[in-house]
Amino acid sequence: MRRMANESRRSQMLRGVLDLCLLAVIVDEPAYGYEMTRRLGERGLPTVGEGSIYPLLGRLERDGLVATHRAASDGGPPRKYYRASPSGRRALAEGVRAWHEVRGEVDSVLATIELEVP
Amino acid sequence: MPAFIEECRYEWKRLGVPDAMADEMAAELEADLVEAEADGVSAAEILGESDPRRFAATWATERGLVSQPPQKGSRKRWIWVAVGLVVIAFFVLFPAFALIGSGSGSVSIVRGTPIQVTSPRRVNVPNVIGKKACKAVRVVARSGVDDWRIAGHQHGFSCKEHLIVVGQSPAGHVVRRDGHPVIVRLRLGRS
Repeated sequence: MRRMANESRRSQMLRGVLDLCLLAVIVDEPAYGYEMTRRLGERGLPTVGEGSIYPLLGRLERDGLVATHRAASDGGPPRKYYRASPSGRRALAEGVRAWHEVRGEVDSVLATIELEVP
Repeated sequence: MPAFIEECRYEWKRLGVPDAMADEMAAELEADLVEAEADGVSAAEILGESDPRRFAATWATERGLVSQPPQKGSRKRWIWVAVGLVVIAFFVLFPAFALIGSGSGSVSIVRGTPIQVTSPRRVNVPNVIGKKACKAVRVVARSGVDDWRIAGHQHGFSCKEHLIVVGQSPAGHVVRRDGHPVIVRLRLGRS
């Protein structure tokens, strides 16, 4: 029960920043959907919890934060590649700054807690 | 093509997603799932969603390919708006119905609601002497006069009191407005 609650909390926390994480992995080099999942895992985010990156990519595309193009992949079918657009780069920069602010504020409250998980 | 994607396509068709867009999303998903499977990654890890219809609808909605479904909150708001309109209609219409239908009722009437009439310039004040009070009030109110008052009954009267009109001012005849409101004063007595 407690594990499920923790996973739910993790999902909720991730939901607010997953778009930033996706932008972060395509800001320098474009990637297709599964490739992004792989990059997230390589950087320490193996699972993204509930939901999927596809609806989120759809929203980023609709909002003009990513640009897309189709290109052949290594030996496979043509893939849809995503990369951060100029608007996406700005959104990422602002989002990262906001994240650091929030993280600092939350840390200043939670860092003083010295409880152990029973 | 995996059953999951077939279900997605069905949902996109149902939602009216253009075929070109549905083809693009299906191809993207299929290619990713094939590659993930080759890496030993399950589809569930990639999709994070076990309901293909919900997954497909969410994706299409986020891409702006279908309109957002109405939210529960806005539905509730509409209900409250409707309730508000009914309440307003009740308070507006109730006095009117009370006035019209008070022949045998017991509605207490102190004075008439001012009737804003700008035309015609002439108004035919009815002669209601001898008529039952409630009927007289209805007749006067419908005649086009600007206002009416009941003398000596500041606290109202009941239609069950069997009062009749024993005097009125002005008397029943055609009155010119000449820029002044026409106000009829009625005096009641026992029948």
